[in-house]
Amino acid sequence: MSESSKLVVQGLGKSFEGLRAVDDVSFELVQGEILGLIGPNGSGKTTAINLITGLLSKTDGTVIIDGVDISAYPAHKIARAGLARTYQTIRLFKELTVRENVEVGAVGMGISRRNAAVTADRLLEELGIADQSDKLAKSLTFGDARRLEIARALATDPKFLLLDEPAAGLNEAETDALLAYLRPLPAEKGIGILVVDHDMRLMMNLCDELIVLNYGKIISKGTPAQVSADPDVVEAYLGSEARGGDEL
Amino acid sequence: MNTLAVKDWLFRNSTILMLCVILLLFGAFFWWLNNPALEHLFIVTCITLIFVMGFQLFMGNSGILAWSYIGFVGIGAFVSAICSMTPQLKQMSVPIMYPWLQNIHMPLPLALLVGALFSALIAAIVVWPIMRLTGAVGVITHFALLIVINVLLVQWAQVTNGPRNFTVGMRPLVGFWTVLISALVIMVFVYFFKQSSLGLRLRASRDDRFSASTSGVNVVAVRYFAFIISCAIGAYGGGLMAHFIMDFTGHTFYMAEFFVILSMIVIGGPMSVSGVFFGLILVAAGRYGLRQFEPFMTGYGFNMTGTTEIILSILMILFLIWKPYGISGGKEFGLETIQGWLKPLKKGA
Ligand SMILES: Nc1ncnc2c1ncn2[C@@H]1O[C@H](COP(=O)(O)OP(=O)(O)OP(=O)(O)O)[C@@H](O)[C@H]1O
Ligand SMILES: [Mg+2]
Repeated sequence: MSESSKLVVQGLGKSFEGLRAVDDVSFELVQGEILGLIGPNGSGKTTAINLITGLLSKTDGTVIIDGVDISAYPAHKIARAGLARTYQTIRLFKELTVRENVEVGAVGMGISRRNAAVTADRLLEELGIADQSDKLAKSLTFGDARRLEIARALATDPKFLLLDEPAAGLNEAETDALLAYLRPLPAEKGIGILVVDHDMRLMMNLCDELIVLNYGKIISKGTPAQVSADPDVVEAYLGSEARGGDEL
Repeated sequence: MNTLAVKDWLFRNSTILMLCVILLLFGAFFWWLNNPALEHLFIVTCITLIFVMGFQLFMGNSGILAWSYIGFVGIGAFVSAICSMTPQLKQMSVPIMYPWLQNIHMPLPLALLVGALFSALIAAIVVWPIMRLTGAVGVITHFALLIVINVLLVQWAQVTNGPRNFTVGMRPLVGFWTVLISALVIMVFVYFFKQSSLGLRLRASRDDRFSASTSGVNVVAVRYFAFIISCAIGAYGGGLMAHFIMDFTGHTFYMAEFFVILSMIVIGGPMSVSGVFFGLILVAAGRYGLRQFEPFMTGYGFNMTGTTEIILSILMILFLIWKPYGISGGKEFGLETIQGWLKPLKKGA
């Protein structure tokens, strides 16, 4: 990995038949940093991650990693360029074993199966699910499945890790364990993390910086303390509570 | 330490060792029986095993129902036959064949190889765009491709003798051991393919193509290469079939044959190599049994012709509804399976 990697997102936009799900979103993420992306339900957080990782085609905008414009790359090339992700709705390889799930990440980068197995065992150990290695992924508990998704993403040896609601569905103890695992990760692995979550306690403790989305647009940006004091943010969240609130 | 590693390897791969032993035991048994009709049955079943294994390699690991496979088997049959026959023989058998085709001639092993490679080459040329498609659209496209191949095989008289029989010769040119060893080698290959890097990526794309691609897997490419390998195996089997039955048309490698292969795979469980192996044994034995039964019942005043196909179809429907992972449940059968069976017995004692 280069001295200080940088992910630049400029003017990202997506329209779904008239609905502007993501609108002119720009930000930068540098190696070593944890950037949080928050916003009410339906504000476009997942869509933004799908656009950046190439699962959805962009209506507007560019994504640049270390000076290379990857906007037009297909998803697998974006992954090879150094972007890894997890999914809000867990998307594991259900019929593969836990170890094989992680191996896919390494093998996807062109690493041999033998070496991929070594990487997988190390990561499963790190995430505390090594005892599940030979089970099928579909038999995992919810919390373990979330951890496996992180292990699989890390197996691609990414420069940047995008986590879509990693704490959703976890209990408080599990969330604390997740926080303890993620917090030192950027320094340890030299990566940058973009994390989306509704758990504000987690986000306040985890993120160096927060971005707030509402109706697809960035309405606020700053340190967790600055953002939580921003009247626009309070307004957006109160508005969302009046509409039924966040279920997660 | 070293013997431990060997033991561990043997345990992990007990599946394929068992399958090989079972196939060889069957072979020895049928050899010992020394009955021409049963030997014929065994050889055809071994060639079918090659078809089934080649098909499992793609369908089992990618989850895509690629009907066109059987068309590529047919291409292998014709190409290898055209290559192996002498010009004189071709002049008699297919007088209207293009002269430059009639003049091609090579030894049988090379002809089988050329048939496999040619079929793989055609697959490589035409299937790339299809590999992008998933679900119903993909199935329909493979189906359409199969029809195109079939029409070519049945109508291109200057190559295939058209709808008339294509006769390779008088007596079978491939024998018991050639077919058995081929089936064995291919089964071992297909088993280890599943564990290979390409096999792993393909299985990942089957389970979730989005997370496969965001893990760096080029889903279209892995499907593409696997399908080409699958076609090469099937076409090699097609070549063996051509040189064993000696008389065939483009329709020999069409729906009816594909249906039998599919039933073996569905009943065995597509994701498991050992599953499709046992699926093949069950279906082959069942078909043989029912065929014996058909004329017997007809003798008692019932017209039972075609019952076998109906029973096979119903069985397939029942499996798809209640046991979509087949008799194997998607798992490989091995020492671990047997240990699982023994556990409750030990506890009971
Ligand atoms: N494929 C799609 N087609 C049409 N509309 C979509 C599609 N995907 C998302 N949307 C819409 O885009 C908007 C943003 O959705 P998105 O899932 O990005 O929100 P989110 O911020 O991740 O919400 P949550 O916090 O609930 O996960 C929503 O209004 C959603 O209904
Ligand atoms: Mg979301």
